Amino acid sequence: MQPDKFYYDNKIVRNFGIATVIWGIIGMLVGLIVAIQLYKPEMNMHNQYTTFGRVRPLHTNAVIFAFVGNAIFMGIYYSLQRLMKARMFSDVLSKIHFWGWQLIIVSAVITLPLGLTTSHEYAELEWPIDILITIVWVVFGINMFGTIIKRRERHIYVAVWFYIATFVTIAVLHIVNSVEIPVSFFKSYMVFAGVQDALVQWWYGHNAVAFFLTTPYLGMMYYFLPKMANRPIYSYKLSILHFWALIFIYIWAGPHHLLYTTLPGWAQSLGVVFSVMLIAPSWGGMINGLLTLRGAWDKVRDDVTLKFMVVGLTAYGMATFEGPMLSLKQVNAIGHFTDWIIAHVHVGALGWNGFLTFAILYWLVPRIYKTELYSKKMASFHFWIGTLGILFYAIPMYWAGFTQGLMLKEFTPEGILKYPSFLETTMRILPMHVMRSVGGALYLTGVIVMAYNLYKTAVQGKLVANEAAEAMPLPKLNPEAGTERWHRRLERKPIWFLIASLIVILIGTFVELMPTLTISSNIPTIASVKPYTPLELQGRDIYIREGCVNCHSQTVRPFRSETERYGEYSKAGEFVYDHPFLWGSKRTGPDLQREGGKYGNSWHYNHLMDPRLMSPGSIMPNYDWLITQKLDTTSTAAKIRAMQKLGVPYPAGYDKIANQDLDKQAKGISADLAKDHIKVKSNKEIVAIIAYLQRLGTDIKAGKTANN
Amino acid sequence: MKQAEIDHKTTCYHCGNDCADECIEQDEKVFCCNGCREVYSILSQNGLCGYYAYNEYPGVSQVKAGKRLDYLKEPSIIRELTDYSDEKFTIVTFYVPDIHCSSCIWLLEHLNKINPAIYHSRVDFLRKQVNIRFDTQLITLHEVVSLLDKIGYEPLISLQDVVKKQAFDKKDNLVKKIAVAGFCFGNVMLLSFPEYLGISVYEQSFRQFFGWLNLAFCLPVLLYSSTGYFKSAWTNLKNKVLNIDFPLALGITVLFVRTAVEILTHTGPGFADTLCGLVFFLLVGKFVQRKTYYHLSFERDYRSFFPVAVQVIDGANERPVPLSDIQVGQRILIRNNEIIPADAILLKGDARVDFSFVTGESVPVSKVLGEVVYAGGRQTGEAIELEVVKPVSQSYLTRLWNNEAFTRTQENRVQTFSDKVSKYFTFALLLIAFGSLFFWLPFDLPRAISAFTAVLIIACPCALALSTPFTMSAALSIFDKNFFYLKNTAVVEQLARIDTIVLDKTGTITINGETSITAHIAATETERQMIYSVCANSTHPLSRLICQYLDNYIKISTNNYYEAPGRGITADVDGHFIKVGSAKFVNVMQAETSSAKKTEVHISIDEKYIGYFTIQQRYRDGVTSVHSLSLAYKLFLLSGDHGHEREALSSVFPKEDMFFERTPQEKLDFIKQLQQNGHKVMMMGDGLNDAGALKQSDLGIAITDNVNNFSPGSDAILDGRSLKKLPAFLKFSKDALHVVYISFCISLTYNVIGLSYAVSGKLSPLIAAILMPLSTFTIISFTSIATHLAAKRRKLI
Amino acid sequence: MSIIYFLIGCSVLLALVFLGAFFWAQRNGQHDDLYTPSVRILLDDDPDENDSKK
Repeated sequence: MQPDKFYYDNKIVRNFGIATVIWGIIGMLVGLIVAIQLYKPEMNMHNQYTTFGRVRPLHTNAVIFAFVGNAIFMGIYYSLQRLMKARMFSDVLSKIHFWGWQLIIVSAVITLPLGLTTSHEYAELEWPIDILITIVWVVFGINMFGTIIKRRERHIYVAVWFYIATFVTIAVLHIVNSVEIPVSFFKSYMVFAGVQDALVQWWYGHNAVAFFLTTPYLGMMYYFLPKMANRPIYSYKLSILHFWALIFIYIWAGPHHLLYTTLPGWAQSLGVVFSVMLIAPSWGGMINGLLTLRGAWDKVRDDVTLKFMVVGLTAYGMATFEGPMLSLKQVNAIGHFTDWIIAHVHVGALGWNGFLTFAILYWLVPRIYKTELYSKKMASFHFWIGTLGILFYAIPMYWAGFTQGLMLKEFTPEGILKYPSFLETTMRILPMHVMRSVGGALYLTGVIVMAYNLYKTAVQGKLVANEAAEAMPLPKLNPEAGTERWHRRLERKPIWFLIASLIVILIGTFVELMPTLTISSNIPTIASVKPYTPLELQGRDIYIREGCVNCHSQTVRPFRSETERYGEYSKAGEFVYDHPFLWGSKRTGPDLQREGGKYGNSWHYNHLMDPRLMSPGSIMPNYDWLITQKLDTTSTAAKIRAMQKLGVPYPAGYDKIANQDLDKQAKGISADLAKDHIKVKSNKEIVAIIAYLQRLGTDIKAGKTANN
Repeated sequence: MKQAEIDHKTTCYHCGNDCADECIEQDEKVFCCNGCREVYSILSQNGLCGYYAYNEYPGVSQVKAGKRLDYLKEPSIIRELTDYSDEKFTIVTFYVPDIHCSSCIWLLEHLNKINPAIYHSRVDFLRKQVNIRFDTQLITLHEVVSLLDKIGYEPLISLQDVVKKQAFDKKDNLVKKIAVAGFCFGNVMLLSFPEYLGISVYEQSFRQFFGWLNLAFCLPVLLYSSTGYFKSAWTNLKNKVLNIDFPLALGITVLFVRTAVEILTHTGPGFADTLCGLVFFLLVGKFVQRKTYYHLSFERDYRSFFPVAVQVIDGANERPVPLSDIQVGQRILIRNNEIIPADAILLKGDARVDFSFVTGESVPVSKVLGEVVYAGGRQTGEAIELEVVKPVSQSYLTRLWNNEAFTRTQENRVQTFSDKVSKYFTFALLLIAFGSLFFWLPFDLPRAISAFTAVLIIACPCALALSTPFTMSAALSIFDKNFFYLKNTAVVEQLARIDTIVLDKTGTITINGETSITAHIAATETERQMIYSVCANSTHPLSRLICQYLDNYIKISTNNYYEAPGRGITADVDGHFIKVGSAKFVNVMQAETSSAKKTEVHISIDEKYIGYFTIQQRYRDGVTSVHSLSLAYKLFLLSGDHGHEREALSSVFPKEDMFFERTPQEKLDFIKQLQQNGHKVMMMGDGLNDAGALKQSDLGIAITDNVNNFSPGSDAILDGRSLKKLPAFLKFSKDALHVVYISFCISLTYNVIGLSYAVSGKLSPLIAAILMPLSTFTIISFTSIATHLAAKRRKLI
Repeated sequence: MSIIYFLIGCSVLLALVFLGAFFWAQRNGQHDDLYTPSVRILLDDDPDENDSKK
């Protein structure tokens, strides 16, 4: 009996590799731009499409789903084939997967600057793209499980387990978090409101980090690190234990993103407990990786890929230690909403994801091109400048985080806020922001050098599109080893797997119906909290479109420092009509939950036209286009209907008359502005957004609270 | 790197041995022997040189006598050896001791390249096994084995291949049970925390929802994971024993019942998390306790030492016959280095049989035609023919295995500390439980019940049950770091309890087959010839040694030959009176005083002192340290061979405690005798002849120089190198036991604390949920740290 | 907060799927040999590499 001869598909790996590099550069470039905007607002090129609020999501999406995403697929398509001793299940599916994914990214690049967003962090893309993502993901799943089924190696190496976990979990998360009801082709409302929406979002948000940025990379680490060091993983037993432990604990750490919000206290604490537990399995992975290199540090000295790996693993260790720390309430009280979080995230992203990706690229490209790396010098230059970049990025951000966090909490002996003006704290940390952008620039330079280096490597070699390999076909299990029943069942098992994951996806889809049942939730309602008026609703959507939530939170935590600064702390009941919630996760500017009625309409008008008129030194960009652009009221009716579907108590048939109310309120505001000699037509967008801002957090002040 | 360059010139490309003396070259590569070269050429012909790419010198030296494999053609034997076989393909698993690096894996999994009839081969590295699946039509088992042999991976084939069995008997699902318990534990924690973290009033609905889910998660834990405890508790009760599993099972039941009741009646959150945690930790404890040495077997008997088959001659043709089918009266052919499988009469050839495995006597003994040769001897020299007089199982040596010592089961041999304690513990527990029940009964029933249940819950000896496994498994791994492999954790306790140590001599405190003889004689050729002639008459091993030493002389006839047993020989050789024997016998005034541990044979011709031979056994370097044990333990030497080293060993053992020329049966009985005098006996031996004693003793330790080689069935296997550490081992085992005692006290204090809440009937789930894991973690960390420190103190790590 | 019912439902269900996966792995003997596979991935079966040696 002769071994099967077959070919590994390197072309698809190469394609994903190219995509990784290109999108990496783009995503990081965008990141650099938005970073600079944080101290030079003009960097938005006086253009709404490139303003921070709209482009920041582009950055996050580009680096997470375009750069890291493609890197994951590159790594999986390379290692899965070799671990399963089989070519990918179907070249067609591979192609669909590749181009589909690029299509998704391109559509993100187009829609996000246009302000088409759900405002769910890391899930900003609108519903048509969500559906596209689901389809492509399923294609990927079929391709992967297909390969696993027709494998020629009985043992499923731990890396593949991590890939499987990634696929299944992301599928569920994506669907659950994309439960939205469309208003138009480019606009939808999240089905859940306020607290519930927030919980869903961060249940997703955290697990996206876990299963998109962590598990697949751990899988790749378990394959590529031993390959690079040419020695088996330190303890394979540990790696398996590590996998199952991680899988079972990760899923519930989500709520730690919502500490001190109106999420029930026990749910918050639950998040904390599970986050802390996470240290064990996470470090299990890191230690296993690093110990693999014990006794081989000489190798590390002269092998740049291993250098990248070591720093990457260390970064992972730091991030996974810092995470649980940040989820402790006391630490979180200071760290949350500040640059500390940005630093934390980027240690993980630049160190762990970035460096591992680079290591894999440097190792993999020469192999599939059957040649040597074009320049080791450049590679090690990349390593050093990259490391430097991380330091220059992280340190100032930590510093900025502490500084601002503490300043905002500081009281004078007389018991009044030391820094009553938020702006003052912002000005203080601008130098750090400058340094941070330098760090980012350094890191980006490294990547560009790598791109050139890899290009040269590719040119000097020749792609082995189909790499020959041979292996004996998988034999039937030893009949003696177990009962017949067991034996037969076994052959079917991988398919069971597919079925199981499909079931999970179906369960996910049934969610789409479920919410209608859960709308009537037992959140303590507040009598005086009323639905938004049509104008406010439109204004809110502009607020979403401009991505104000990226810099302004809408939740006042129950600290004296915050109640003094912003007003009464938030109640769960206040958000029952917020589809989606807009609590935000970062305070580059002050919180806006109690913004309503703080200033006159004219203040807001001027502030939006040029923030520096009202608060000199502000780093908020001008929103002058709001003054010129006409508010599109044709969508009002649809939006009202959608809200009604979601249980917002607008009177029946209100959608027909909504626009009349809208005009009335708008005219009122423009009249009020006119008093301050501001001439603005009532049909401009700025009127709507002012209306919304003035409404924010006022209900609770109005009526007596019927709080539980 | 430079160094390597130079090495390449003189070291074998295949096995890396030094081959400066005779080098064989091929493709400008050098090889130490033809064997290695052959392997190389086979590999290179089949394009398998990748073998040499992964490691330098991956091979194993091929200088060894070729084995006969004809018996692998016998259908009956093939049936014995294969795992599965049909007309299409055959599956067989071999134990290949030479597997040692990634190249081995690579090569053995590419057998198909050498012979396409081999479909598939998988290596299990730790077990040193290769599982091969080949085409029954195209290739025979015999060819497969000889192929393996050719490429330098000779499988170790024996009828009772225990190591192989280990692969299959892993038929219990402890891991699955742990997985289920762990899974439920995790989720139950998730659902129980809200209670502790202050879930508010208006969230009653959650309370109930979580409660129901908790109950649901408890079910698999109760019905699947914890079944083992109920079973064992039940069986023990039937045998009128109260072991620790009884209170555990009781605790689990009560936990579940009370949880169910509280949840169903909405009277409380129940103890779901405590229940799941308890079972989870207990199972983990069970898991760590079980340590398997894949490459070792403690159950070997003579069958794994004897050949699989013997050449039987009937008339003209000879054929291999499986050992089990050998009948009395059959004529068998034994070649050099083969073992005589059954008591037989020598019919043909010059038998020089090495009985070291049977008697411990290292010097080969000559047998004359018609003499009975006992089974277990190894023929050295030319091929001989014998006639079987006893079936294998009834032979001199193998009869041993019919002794009741071997039919006895292991379990009731060890009665561990925790078993003893838990008896009293259980009584106390029940006492308190019912006490509190009846105390409250008069006043208020619910409180009485809750107190009763609370006691059973809180006093559930989780930590108690974990102390032993965690300590002992830690100890176990310390031991095997020092090449001392214990069969299971119970053996550690045995080790701590023994008060008497009995050692075998040959191969145990001496190293097998390493006898050196040196002559200090001033004798002419003729005189040497005379000495040779005299000694040639004697079968005494020392005489035989001298003969070996003074080889190639022609024997001259001797007159009035007289042998004084254990002292010496006198004889006349053409007119000269020759004395050979001990110093006293030859009456030498000790001019050159004999140093210890040497055996000397003095010679005088016509009462003129000629000189002496010194015969020396190589002792393991641990012997002196063994002596140091004589303070704490009663030491005995129990040897199968002649006492000619009595003198030498007197420095280690008190004279009266050395016993020689003991048959295997006598050894066994000796141990039994000691035990009847109330001693706890540890037997250390290496050969088959010790097998009985090892089995009979309270703790049998087999000593071996290569753990992969044969070692008789025992409780522990000790690598010869570590004999010197024996005292440390014994001390450490005692330390380990002390650790257990202390941790027992700790866990008891926890129970007492808990009870103080419980008896008052005011046990909140939170307290239980805190106490249980807390005590567990204290125990685990304490035991592992303490054991580690103890090992440090004994210099074992 | 009835969303919690749902999220817990999802999480538990997901966990169950993984538990099933673990059981399958255990049954299939995926965990029988926990060393050799880690070495095996280092050995690549590249036919040309062998033929070249012929």
